[in-house]
Amino acid sequence: MSAVLSHSLLDESESRFPLDLNIRIPKIRDLYRQATAKQWDPVKAVPWDELHPEQYSDEQRYAARLYWSRRAWGEYGAISESPALQIRFCQQHHAPDMRFFFTLRTQEESRHAEVCYLVAEKLGGYIDAPVQSAFQGSVATHGVRKMALDLDMPLEATIASLVCAAEEIAFDVFGHLIKITTNPAAKRALQLIMRDEVRHCAFGWAYMEERVKQLTPGQLAGVEQAVVNMIEKVELNGYHSAWLGPDTPATRAETEADRITYEAGLGATVESDEKPVFIKSIKRIRKQMQAWGFTLKQFTHPKIEGAF
Amino acid sequence: MNAATAVAPNAQSLQDPKVRRARRRRADPLIERRFPLHLEPHMQTIRGLYHQAKTAHWDPEKHIPWAKFDASAYSAEQLRAAALSWSRRAWTEYGGLPETPAILIRFCLEHGGESDPKMFLTVRGSEEAWHTECCWRFADLVGKYSDRPASDHYAGLFNQDFHREAFEPGISVDAYIAVHSAILDGIDLELNRGYLRHATDPVALSMLKRMVQDKERHVAFGWVYLAERAAGWDDAARAEISAEIDQAIEGLLLSGAICAWLAPGGIADDIVAADAITRQAGLGAMSVAEESAVVAQFLGEARDHLARLGVAMADIRDRAAAGDRVAVSG
Repeated sequence: MSAVLSHSLLDESESRFPLDLNIRIPKIRDLYRQATAKQWDPVKAVPWDELHPEQYSDEQRYAARLYWSRRAWGEYGAISESPALQIRFCQQHHAPDMRFFFTLRTQEESRHAEVCYLVAEKLGGYIDAPVQSAFQGSVATHGVRKMALDLDMPLEATIASLVCAAEEIAFDVFGHLIKITTNPAAKRALQLIMRDEVRHCAFGWAYMEERVKQLTPGQLAGVEQAVVNMIEKVELNGYHSAWLGPDTPATRAETEADRITYEAGLGATVESDEKPVFIKSIKRIRKQMQAWGFTLKQFTHPKIEGAF
Repeated sequence: MNAATAVAPNAQSLQDPKVRRARRRRADPLIERRFPLHLEPHMQTIRGLYHQAKTAHWDPEKHIPWAKFDASAYSAEQLRAAALSWSRRAWTEYGGLPETPAILIRFCLEHGGESDPKMFLTVRGSEEAWHTECCWRFADLVGKYSDRPASDHYAGLFNQDFHREAFEPGISVDAYIAVHSAILDGIDLELNRGYLRHATDPVALSMLKRMVQDKERHVAFGWVYLAERAAGWDDAARAEISAEIDQAIEGLLLSGAICAWLAPGGIADDIVAADAITRQAGLGAMSVAEESAVVAQFLGEARDHLARLGVAMADIRDRAAAGDRVAVSG
């Protein structure tokens, strides 16, 4: 993805002053303080001696390596793309609380990528690319960097789609994964990630709570469309869940790896278990967004019966 | 990762802004190719700095003894001065908040880049937020934080567009790191070490100790990265790094953006005067003479260090000397 856009934030010169650093959105300043207080280190915080790779078959270890590597690729997206939002918060003088919070958020994403990498590595080796190159399109990018740098894309639309939709879906899946994962080390890694994700989601809703009352109907329609795009073009394309990706040999191979990992209790889930969680997430997000003044459309997907 | 080597001008021609602009225009746009995605340790020393940073994490709320500040120990003039000195510090520290995410993304856009610098930069970003918060909070505690300089001309010096430079394909990552992490962060570290040496106030001392510890890692990152990369540089890459450093020294240090006493036309005299009073009160600053000595020593050492990497750096120590300003403000 190129960093160059037609109306890009990178065309704008810096204008640092007045430099407001006061508390403007107390809920977000609190999230920043919580994030500062609750740091953890993937090397030390996971009971690695309870992973016991030797207790699993070669097939299970390979599948789990693939699953955790894929998780790492997904987390990496937030290192490679989301920091563009931080630049936007600074250059457009958004609330200082957001600028402070996002520095910690980026560090947390790095921890998440690191812990996923470590699980894969300790199971036999991190895998640095999808085995089948056709799958790269589903996991390569969620487009946030482009959205963040694009001055024609309102910030509210980006936050609503990235955080209040995509991250909320991921959050619910994490809750589900923690329930079904039996390996203590893998389960702890998921718990630690989820502990941070709670704040990431709360950030989005706190920001939108401040902003939504100031949006025009046209701007609100833009927010709604961005959320729809995120769900249809990213989530329903398999960005977080392989079984939602286009039905290709590559996707089938990934979902098979997920099934083996799930049966081993090493962290993945399967279509039949995740489907109701995903549908429930969409319904919950739709309900929460009604407070903003719109009702998200019904979605469809070949793997899900009926509209949801 | 490739240094920008579209053309191979010498360092002297690169001093010409027209040559530099033309060179940048010819560079290929940055296109991310995410896979293969390397997350394994490659630059072990930088991975070590990342692990150290995670272990050394701190919390401005918990680790700075804010309640120990005793305003009655200082005169009104000293408190006013310290509020301005620390406001200025907040303005400077804040520069990292847009810059670090920009260079982090740049590393991600470079094909085949190692993960170690990226991981390190994610922690650096948090530390810069804590530094900014501390400076802002202390300025408010001793008096009142000022959200802008008194002089518009001086304010203009802070608009440095580092975030845009980080995305500029015509500037290699190596040149960017040389300028920003090794040289500019290096000067900043030495200044903060100086503030720490002369601070007696318990809150200022505590903040500066934490900040210096973090900044030592930030500067180590720069030099370690350059040392790892130096073996792959050709003459054009060295010339580019040399030219970018000289340009930064000219445009940022000698302009007064870093040391207020170097600002022309007295546009930052209020800061210079405030720093002198803040230093005398032990609230965390240095006199002009002290800053000048620190900067001159750093420039000499940096020049030697760069020479060992095969990179030339102009000797501008005489131009960065305090000169007459010592008598006025020191």
